[in-house]
Amino acid sequence: MRLHDIVIHESDAARIDAILRRFLSDSNSSAALLIDRGGQPLAEAGTARTLDVGSVGALAAAAFSATAALAQLLGESEFSVLFHEGVKESMHVSTVDEQTILLAIFDDRTTIGMVRLFAREACASIGAVLEETRKRPKLVGVLATPLTAEETRRASDHRPA
Amino acid sequence: MSIINYAARVINFKIVYYGPGMAGKTANLQYIHRCLPGDNKGKMISLATGDDRTLFFDFLPVSAVGVRGFTTRFQLYTVPGQPHYNMTRKLVLRGVDGVVFVADSQWDRLREDVESLRNLDDNLREYGLDLATLPHVIQYNKRDLGSVAPLDYLEYLLNRGMRHVPFFEAVALEGNGVFDTLNTVSRMVLVKEFGQAQEVRS
Repeated sequence: MRLHDIVIHESDAARIDAILRRFLSDSNSSAALLIDRGGQPLAEAGTARTLDVGSVGALAAAAFSATAALAQLLGESEFSVLFHEGVKESMHVSTVDEQTILLAIFDDRTTIGMVRLFAREACASIGAVLEETRKRPKLVGVLATPLTAEETRRASDHRPA
Repeated sequence: MSIINYAARVINFKIVYYGPGMAGKTANLQYIHRCLPGDNKGKMISLATGDDRTLFFDFLPVSAVGVRGFTTRFQLYTVPGQPHYNMTRKLVLRGVDGVVFVADSQWDRLREDVESLRNLDDNLREYGLDLATLPHVIQYNKRDLGSVAPLDYLEYLLNRGMRHVPFFEAVALEGNGVFDTLNTVSRMVLVKEFGQAQEVRS
């Protein structure tokens, strides 16, 4: 499976943000996080802004990938939804497209049924936006010209304290 | 497969530390996590067994200086090295931009090194990638031990692909070679992504 690059331009980000906010409002979820299946966060809304989205993204993508691999062992193409129920907070993860997943965090102000219903709608809408982003050029504006040796050196210079 | 977000002005890269079990992949990340300044690192997550063998992966986000107003984040992952965890290794490789192959320099581990490198190549091909074009470096670890193969022999064994890639001698537990390895693979990933401007000599 060859993966596409993911590029999110300002206009795409605004559309995705609007879909996520609408999803939060419709489903009464507290947080929504759009994640690449490789573990990298793409967009967030609601209280997701207060989370360590890097860690959440890595772990949620790993859990979803592991579940998808399990599904394949059982002869399914994948399990399209993953649900973890906690005492106060619960988590719902669903498929957006081949490369991305949507994670929702919610509590007892709503139900899994509501979250599932509106997540399905949101995933379809976000999937359509992401499909459009794939047709856009990857490197534009200030990133359109190659880096100088000095820029590359500085951006790759990790140093111990 | 980098991710560029023009709205958040963030560029994310994924670098995977690959190699046989007990070669020192986790030790690399632990040293980086211990030594990087707080502003340049996130939380390190290790999904390990009770006896500290990697079960799924270790994860550590790091960053250096940004590029043209964009924050560049390198998400570092390790894989479990033991042969029977291949499904897991394949999952972790998804979306990889660069690989550090951590080899165990000891004579009695060379067979595992070779098998792991072959396994890496096989797994990359499932994502349409291959070692001939993917940015990667080799780290010959545990150089402080007595029973290690000479560098020339390791190079002959593990660095004989279509292109000769950068390699480093290391003692990851003490940090020797760890940052040289990370910085070189980071640089290769950046050059692959953005290209490198030719310097004009006057």
